[in-house]
Amino acid sequence: MADVSPSKSLIKGVIKLTLFLGVGFAVLFILNKVLSAPTEDGYRFFPVIGSRVWVWIIAQLHLNFAAFVLGVPIFAVSMEFMSWRRNDERLDRIAYDFTKLFTLAYTLTAAVGTILMISLPVLYPKFIDHLMKILGPTWWVYVLVMYIETLVCYYYFYSWKQMKGSKKGTHVAIGGLLNIMGITMLLITSSWVGYMTTPNPHGVSETGELINRWQAIKSYMWIPLSLHRLFANVVFGAGIAAAYAAYRFITAETDEQRAYYDWMGYTSAMISIGFSLILPGIGYLLGVEIYSFNEQMGIQLMGGFFAWLWVMQAILIGAILMFVNYYLWISLNKMPGGERYFKYVKYLFIVNLLGYAVWLTPHSIALSLEEARRMGAYHPVLGSLGVMASKNTAVVVSYMATFLSFTIFKISNKEPIVSWAKLGHTIRAAVIVLSTAAAIAIGIYSYMVTSAVRVKVLSPIQFGIFFLSIIILFVLDTMMYKGAIVIGEPRWGKMPERSQYALIGITVTFTWLMAMMGYMRSGGRQFWHVYGIVKDTSPDAYLPTHGYAAVVSSIVTVIFFALIGLLFWSIMKLEKVADKGGAQT
Amino acid sequence: MKGGVLKLLTVVVGLNIFFAYIGLYFLPQSESRPPKETKIEKGISQDDLIAVGEQIVFSKGQCMVCHPVKTEVGMRAPAISTIGVEMEKSAKERNMKFESYVFEALVNPSAYIQKGFENMMPPIHKPPTSLNDGELIAVAAYLQSRGAKVSVSYPESVPVLKEQIDIEAKKGGK
Repeated sequence: MADVSPSKSLIKGVIKLTLFLGVGFAVLFILNKVLSAPTEDGYRFFPVIGSRVWVWIIAQLHLNFAAFVLGVPIFAVSMEFMSWRRNDERLDRIAYDFTKLFTLAYTLTAAVGTILMISLPVLYPKFIDHLMKILGPTWWVYVLVMYIETLVCYYYFYSWKQMKGSKKGTHVAIGGLLNIMGITMLLITSSWVGYMTTPNPHGVSETGELINRWQAIKSYMWIPLSLHRLFANVVFGAGIAAAYAAYRFITAETDEQRAYYDWMGYTSAMISIGFSLILPGIGYLLGVEIYSFNEQMGIQLMGGFFAWLWVMQAILIGAILMFVNYYLWISLNKMPGGERYFKYVKYLFIVNLLGYAVWLTPHSIALSLEEARRMGAYHPVLGSLGVMASKNTAVVVSYMATFLSFTIFKISNKEPIVSWAKLGHTIRAAVIVLSTAAAIAIGIYSYMVTSAVRVKVLSPIQFGIFFLSIIILFVLDTMMYKGAIVIGEPRWGKMPERSQYALIGITVTFTWLMAMMGYMRSGGRQFWHVYGIVKDTSPDAYLPTHGYAAVVSSIVTVIFFALIGLLFWSIMKLEKVADKGGAQT
Repeated sequence: MKGGVLKLLTVVVGLNIFFAYIGLYFLPQSESRPPKETKIEKGISQDDLIAVGEQIVFSKGQCMVCHPVKTEVGMRAPAISTIGVEMEKSAKERNMKFESYVFEALVNPSAYIQKGFENMMPPIHKPPTSLNDGELIAVAAYLQSRGAKVSVSYPESVPVLKEQIDIEAKKGGK
């Protein structure tokens, strides 16, 4: 499959993209001619499921694929860079495999993107006209960047083998360019969503007239949303790569394949979880910007109609952490010396379970915040556990426990030789105990202060302590285990099959979480296309029940995995064809 | 191998069914519909005006997102149950007519912030809340009724309300 010459690949890329855009514009033109005119307030209706659900599914699918093709290159190129500097063939292979994944996923991304490009102007012509009036030029820049990105991507993948050796540095630089293009596309698309959700009053008037285009682009949530998406894309992309590795592990025919895909699964999952640690912090920044734009929207998102979906989010992230911990605990079996750490697993499990329980405790069992407020009281115990003070504490403690699961896995096959090893172990224990105690103490103190102090001062300190302690632990272990005696190399591939379902579980849960959070972000606008400026007057201008949103999220996730499964299967088919071709020559 | 793939599919589909099940059966089910505009009849009685105001405070106005009913530790905004008394006190301190002060709090809230709270209340005659004159007067009546004498009425209070809206418009607030 990689036998296409780099120059031919460029032609292939241009033809493909032009074909998609051409088909998109042609279908759009025909539908506008054939379909009846939109309603007076600018709507057409999609049959059976309605316009909103149709656009919801297609937009989320496109976002999933886009997240994947923008996220994976970040760590694929980083790995290629490391393989080049360290001359590590295994790292080069995994970087190549990651690249193969996202290059082939481009076609699916473009196909779903074309459907979205047709659907929006056909179903919501008036709203899209408004968007074009305000942000039109950014769309044309987007198309241009998309062409450049596709060309760079195809060249990057198809020139991999030719540019090995002396040209490796140039090849890594091409990968860097690919990421710059990806980030530019992300910034452009985030500006559209940012405008719709938190329009800048310096950019557009209350009646929807353009005042200043740059200010319209520069909405409140533009940069924090872009950052959040950037890191979430890495988490998601690595998760899909882990799912691919799990799929290949399960379908592997040789021990060599099992060993390689076990390692790929582990590496991808750890990249995913490692980057996910940054997300609460950036999510916090995003929240601050939403509050700055409009307190009501912020509170409505955090504690109003959507309050229960945060409980759902807790269920999902808690499940992800449980899957990760379970995977790491099973992984101890393949580490020579890992059995020495089995005794800690039950404690880590208890801490995770307690954290999980607090995290998913709702503030009230009333239907809504308004109802709880009318009742004027919360449950005497659950009421105290259901607030931000306890939840932030539970999150920090759960993350700390997960980090320890990772740490014991990493050090389980080593024995430190430094003279201060005993002191090092004591310092590690002290850091863990003190940081956990500090997080809990701050959590308790948070009940006694105003919301402003809690949100702006104590919560950042709590998360700051967590990050500081994991940095200290990381540095400490790096120093302590330098030159350590290795009891034995990890027995890659010697993993029970159930460990791979845990990897799949992480990715499925994360995909579902993305679908739900995407709905919340979009739902934050309530009955507005552009918050406070363009009203949604369609029959769909209401927020559906949480159950309805959950069913749509599940449908999107199942369709996405069906398409991703198809992609994995095609890759295996193409590899087999390439192998046969190789054998004949 | 085929058994493995089948199990894998089961995990994917099973988790999605599980999450949808939680959403359907463990979370409360209600829709959030766009609020309807309330038309206030001329000469509406004070009791009816207060009742309409209460309805708006607990629904369309979205006031309860920030304001608790009773005083709570760490509350974001003043408690509704005693807000009439508090507003009357503040109006006296600022040498303002009670009626004007209440309207100012609704349409130009950043003009005066109660001690211990932050400047976070949006003017509710503007999008996204967009209450009309009658609705604003009804809300004012309900707020006054929480511990103080109600002095607003419809349509008599409209000029006082407009005066506060004009002040807010002149300062060019968001």
